[in-house]
Amino acid sequence: MTRRFGSTELPAEQEQALRRAVRLAWLTIGFLVTAIVLMYLVMGSSQAMRTAWAEDLLSLIPPTAFLVATHVTRRRPSPRHPYGYHRSVGVGHLVAGTALLTMGALLVWESASSLLAQEHPPVGVLVVLDQPVWSGWLMIAVLAYTAVPPVLLGRAKLPLARTLHDRVLYADADMNRADWLTAVAGIVGVLGIGVGLWWADATAALVISFSILKDGVSNVRTATVALMDARATTVDGDEVHPLVAQVDAHLAGVPWVADGRVRLRDEGHVFHAECFVVPRAGHAPTLEDLTALVRDVSDLDWKLQDVVVAPVPVLPEELESRTATGGDDRSTRHDAA
Amino acid sequence: MRRTTALVSAVLVVLTAGCGVTVPTDPEGTLERVRGGQLRVGVTVREPWTSLPDGDDAPPEGREVDLVVAFAEHLDAEVEWQVGSEEQLVAALEEGDVEMLVGGLTASSPWSSRVALTRPYVTVPDEHGDEENHVMATRAGENAFLVELERFLVAQDVQQDVGGLP
Repeated sequence: MTRRFGSTELPAEQEQALRRAVRLAWLTIGFLVTAIVLMYLVMGSSQAMRTAWAEDLLSLIPPTAFLVATHVTRRRPSPRHPYGYHRSVGVGHLVAGTALLTMGALLVWESASSLLAQEHPPVGVLVVLDQPVWSGWLMIAVLAYTAVPPVLLGRAKLPLARTLHDRVLYADADMNRADWLTAVAGIVGVLGIGVGLWWADATAALVISFSILKDGVSNVRTATVALMDARATTVDGDEVHPLVAQVDAHLAGVPWVADGRVRLRDEGHVFHAECFVVPRAGHAPTLEDLTALVRDVSDLDWKLQDVVVAPVPVLPEELESRTATGGDDRSTRHDAA
Repeated sequence: MRRTTALVSAVLVVLTAGCGVTVPTDPEGTLERVRGGQLRVGVTVREPWTSLPDGDDAPPEGREVDLVVAFAEHLDAEVEWQVGSEEQLVAALEEGDVEMLVGGLTASSPWSSRVALTRPYVTVPDEHGDEENHVMATRAGENAFLVELERFLVAQDVQQDVGGLP
């Protein structure tokens, strides 16, 4: 079966990446379920442990959003949805970001108030195989178990996210990569309880909740920027997507075009491209000229979809100023990050 | 990352071995104070777990009282009983005026956010036939003391036959 994003059939490289990404998403969910169960069994009254547990629960959202989004984007455009279903990626991203933001804020509040209330977390024993063991050791063991796999999963997902131009996958990979910090913070918190520093636990919880909050803020921001049809950027949101310059250069190379600029809209995975072209004086483009240009632009990259060529007397102002104010790239770059 | 793990283990080793600290440790040093000294125990009446056959000033009796006396012996400590209402005694526990509290408490005790409940040491049916997990309460965060008591209770292996007591 050929995988597709809407009416785009994926090239071999993307198709393979998608298959791997789906497999990794299921693997992540499987791992998280084991981590969530194990942590629930040992968590007791440690605030840091509960916060780390909440983070693991939340970590289920991005891979789930990814799986749902890739499933939905496969649908072809229809009369009701003439642009296709690509935006489901953006919606999934926004949902994931909002969940992180809300939970992060809640957990910051919770751990800050237990720190202020000077709550002393009680951690007693659990009986494992008839042996009473201080549950702190079990918590540390489980936290250590949750430290490594996400990092590996995150590393494996990151290049796939770039290949597929999938922001949900990127956000997921990015969070996975930073997940070991949660485990280490949790371990420090539990060790703190162990050596009699009651505040270490709530402090560690505060650190973890701030990292969740930070993930939430950055995800909501990138997702919103994408849904607001901001100019197409690379999947990390850091730079203008190279296809913008590539299509512009292609338009400039067409003999009958005096001036041309593309307006790329990031639909999630694929770009919709509107090419505004000013024909050379005395050269009215024929239908063949226009069709050939549409085909050539579409062939530049698999991501370019729904290419439209619009001959215009003058370029739209906001596109014309692109090269003139090249310096503004740098100042706006951080908005998208 | 590997470096961080190494760093954390190093910190762990220094904290636990280097300073001669046992894990877990009591922030307020309860276990150290009680060992070879005095064990102040709050008691509320809930028969057959605790009772006061000879009034407030005489030593209490009951299944949990016996356990506490044995625990005090284990710690080489002398028991000092304080009789009161649960609310009074929970406050005393929070202030550190008593080290522990007994009185037929169960794992579903509403005080669990203010005190440290031990793990259930015995499960018996209550008067309605529902299973009740019996626990004792210690001062929140005094984890060495909590662990010592829990280990002691596990070792006692309290049997369900107490349910048959009058």
